[in-house]
Amino acid sequence: MRRFLLLAVLLCASCFAQDGAKSANDPILGAMLAELQRSKAKLKLADVDAPYYIEYRISDVDEFKVETVFGELRLQNRNHGRLLRVVVRVGNYKQDSYIGMGEGMTNVAVVDDDLAALRNELWLNTDRAYKMASEALTQKQAALKQLTVEIPVDDFAKAPAVESVQALARLEVTPQDWVETLRAASALYLRDALLQDFEASADFSATNRYLVNTEGTIVRDGKALYNVHVSGNTQAADGMRLNRGWSSVSAAAGELPGRAKILEQTDKVIAGLKELREAPMADEDYRGPVLFAPAAAENVIDGLVSNNIVGRKPQLGAPARTTGAWSAEYKSRVLPDFFSVKDDPTLTSFQGRSLIGSYAVDDDGVKAQVVSVVEKGKLVNFLMGRAPIRDFPESNGHGRAALGQSPEPAPGTLRVESSEPLPPAELKKKLIELAKQHDQKYGYFVESLGGDLSPQVLRRVWVSDGHEELVRGGLFGELDTRSLRSDIVAAGDDLKVSNRAESIPNTIINPSILFDELQVKRVEASKEKLPEYPAPPLGGSGP
Amino acid sequence: MLAPAPVSAASSALLAAKDSASQPLLGVMEKELGRAKTELGKLDPAPYFLSYSVSDHELVNVAASQGALLNSTVLHVRYGAVHTRIGTDKLDNTHDENRGSGIESSLLPLGDDRDALSRVLWKLTFEGYRKAQRAYLNVKTQTAVRAKEDDTSPDFSEETPQTSVSAPAAPLAIDVKGWEEQARRYSAILKKYPEVEESYVNFSAQQSNLYLVSSEGSRVVTPSTMLRLVIYASTHAEDGMDLMRVETFQATTAERLPGEAEVAAKIEKMAVDIQRLKAAPVTEPATVPVLLSGRAAAVFFHEVLGHRLEGHRQRDEKEGQTFTKKVGQPVLPEFLSVADDPTQKELNGVELAGYYAFDDEGMPGSRVELIEHGTLKNFLMSRMPINHFAKSNGHGRAQAALMPTGRQGNLMVTSTHTVKDAEMRQQLLDEVKKQGKPYGLYFEDIQGGFTLTTRFTPQAFQILPVMVWKVHPDGKPDELVRGVDIVGTPIAALNRILVTGDTEQVFNGICGAESGSVPVSASAPSMLFSEIEVQKRGHQRMRPPLLPPPGFDKDDAKAVGQ
Repeated sequence: MRRFLLLAVLLCASCFAQDGAKSANDPILGAMLAELQRSKAKLKLADVDAPYYIEYRISDVDEFKVETVFGELRLQNRNHGRLLRVVVRVGNYKQDSYIGMGEGMTNVAVVDDDLAALRNELWLNTDRAYKMASEALTQKQAALKQLTVEIPVDDFAKAPAVESVQALARLEVTPQDWVETLRAASALYLRDALLQDFEASADFSATNRYLVNTEGTIVRDGKALYNVHVSGNTQAADGMRLNRGWSSVSAAAGELPGRAKILEQTDKVIAGLKELREAPMADEDYRGPVLFAPAAAENVIDGLVSNNIVGRKPQLGAPARTTGAWSAEYKSRVLPDFFSVKDDPTLTSFQGRSLIGSYAVDDDGVKAQVVSVVEKGKLVNFLMGRAPIRDFPESNGHGRAALGQSPEPAPGTLRVESSEPLPPAELKKKLIELAKQHDQKYGYFVESLGGDLSPQVLRRVWVSDGHEELVRGGLFGELDTRSLRSDIVAAGDDLKVSNRAESIPNTIINPSILFDELQVKRVEASKEKLPEYPAPPLGGSGP
Repeated sequence: MLAPAPVSAASSALLAAKDSASQPLLGVMEKELGRAKTELGKLDPAPYFLSYSVSDHELVNVAASQGALLNSTVLHVRYGAVHTRIGTDKLDNTHDENRGSGIESSLLPLGDDRDALSRVLWKLTFEGYRKAQRAYLNVKTQTAVRAKEDDTSPDFSEETPQTSVSAPAAPLAIDVKGWEEQARRYSAILKKYPEVEESYVNFSAQQSNLYLVSSEGSRVVTPSTMLRLVIYASTHAEDGMDLMRVETFQATTAERLPGEAEVAAKIEKMAVDIQRLKAAPVTEPATVPVLLSGRAAAVFFHEVLGHRLEGHRQRDEKEGQTFTKKVGQPVLPEFLSVADDPTQKELNGVELAGYYAFDDEGMPGSRVELIEHGTLKNFLMSRMPINHFAKSNGHGRAQAALMPTGRQGNLMVTSTHTVKDAEMRQQLLDEVKKQGKPYGLYFEDIQGGFTLTTRFTPQAFQILPVMVWKVHPDGKPDELVRGVDIVGTPIAALNRILVTGDTEQVFNGICGAESGSVPVSASAPSMLFSEIEVQKRGHQRMRPPLLPPPGFDKDDAKAVGQ
């Protein structure tokens, strides 16, 4: 028996050595595989099981950051760093140590491609992760004795090994040009003396990922992310704080907006803030149709859909299938029957734009898959990583991790579409018709939302002649998953790509959405005070 | 060549115009402060004090481990802070737990653009005013509701405005590539030692220009530069006890950091110490005579005495207040004196990290005799008065964007009862024999809360003896022990000091406390304590790594084929 095990180890060792040879010119993968193999072969505490699974992930991040405010540089930073994450699992696929302190170690790693130094870090972190995993498993088994688990679910899904060594990403950037452009953009605040804050910033990064595990997975790939952002705020005469911004997020340097485009968009932000400042307040009470432009609908989907379609293992011993508002809605209708939602990380571009939610292999080392989540309005699937939930024993390639964090199920590129799409003009017509039916003089058109799904740009569309009028201070009364299911009556054919530079980069592709009835109230929060004294006069000018 | 000489108030208006031309930032700060003073002065309540402080930092950080670079960054940041006080100096918005309401801060633009700078300052000012106003309401209510405090001192001291505008420091000229190479070389030394687990080498440099203007009329610009080299190595004993060694070097220029040969020798010694510590027996409970090296004594005094002499602690009823009511009374043996002197740049050829010309409230740093011939005389005072101490003595210190409190600068312990350093060991042995003890202890190195920054920071007040030797009276060689913990409060030991050595040793470090991290030094001669009670310290039971380091695994070379 012992001889057989040894043979197995040696066989596997040679298989790794081979894999290692394939990526022999990558010292990082080389170091990872060498230490993985050594740990797999030898790491064992007396009286404790050896690990049944070990995983290493190194994220190499080259980041360039510029922040400007009122035409001046506030921060400029180029930073190259590496984060190492080590997961050691003790036990078996059915029940293992992956809980609490057993969820792995994250540490900074050396940025030089120094095989010996990297292995040294892997060695120490693997050792610690193994010991903590052993303790975690003991604690978990003790805790489980106190609980009754009715339908046991495996702790870790099996997955085929993936080998995919791709080209590395490189940051393409000319720092000084960006500093100049962003300074020029944020300097446009001079056009409006009532702006209280005005900033333009850029955050560019190239992240190269190296992932190996004892199941034979070897992954190397790179992603770039280019994010340019302009934002400002002002106050209306009555003190209401008003925010507007613009951003451009892409995965390709070639899609970065040029200076002229950035200045043009910045101008629009400034004009928009002025327009908002002068806009009348929303009426106190409104109940009627609301049309969400794609940019606003994106926030609704993010806030009310994205989080509810992931299969996240509930707390130890909890009976629920998953967490989130739709944990009990499997096979039930959650959206109107002409709606479908699918997540397609394999899509690399759409309408000629790069998608930052795209990936080939997820952070669990599982191949990305297209997953149809909502069909004809019905919730038919969850996005899964390798932590199974009831009825979903396998990953569908959606285990995604923020930098240095544990993978969790998350969307990549979420596509929300209607089987009966209407052109935007038709939707506007429909908005007016519905407003008439509700005996309203106007319907609402939301162009963009801020945080908490509160409208940033909200317009009345008048029934009388269809003209649009900007208002401020509107707030939705009951925009929730119930209204998604019951109150959506149509959607557009105007699919729009939104790249979202969040801790787990993702993309949402969605159309306009028309609700036939939503409550829009006037904000009642006590109005903010205007500044105690006027802003410094402009033109104290320059240094 | 100490603090820049203050200028008389009469000529300051003239100078103001001149400085503002050469230092646009200072000009903007003054102009915007003037506007704030006038405009907020019309309100009810109006602030009775306003100040702007800006800290402009140029930072370099280079770290390496095991011969490879971990990180190398160069950064320029500028923090702006507005201090607002509403009420009266007797009772204002910063009273008691509302202290944080006295400051509002954010990053400032880096250039000299007046419009941009003044706009950010303006916003900070009205936001700071609102915060102070809300807090002031709380304070008034709390004062009405709560019982009278023991210490009814005002909240803010009256001081003479200061004017001292030095030329800002020239930009840092660090050879970053050179540091990277050096950090790789230094950290590679530890690769030879399989006992060393985590280790790193960290070079850092900080060039700061601090600008301060206040509604009282102070205008202060002070430059400062600090370079630091920290080397860290750790291991675990077989029983799981974590053991570490740290070396730090501090200087004002790269040239004044120690040379490669000296640093390399120190690192080799650290590694040998780690090997020895790992193999050393655990200490047993004992009450024995103890000799502290000068550096160990310096750390000891900083942690157990210095922190307790910080003025604000005498007022905070949640504090232990060991010394609050002991002014004029003996607290140390009569032959010991303790001062804090931030105006001193060097001691025995070593640059002192706690040097500054002005503190973070714009008060000139000054030497304070804290304990004279054993008798407590004074505290480390910021502008927060305490009973019997109404004024600042130039020790109001803080990290950028935090509220200053009384802090140490250069803490200096001196003695009039000394023997030659070379005789201290014999003194220990004599004491051991006199008491009929089997051995005495020599504390070569104590780790305190102020030696490390970032990840591994132990708490203030905490002391951790790391290199402790058993010294036998019968001529047996000294024996290293590990896991030494001082029983009870270490402060009780201060009165059992018998005699000291004759030269002060310096420990430079970064001290962390409520008002953030500030550079400090402590210096003291070696000291003999008649007795200190020690025990084994509690520790985690994380065993040493199961496998040898990758480079030391004999099978590994074959298996990997490299």
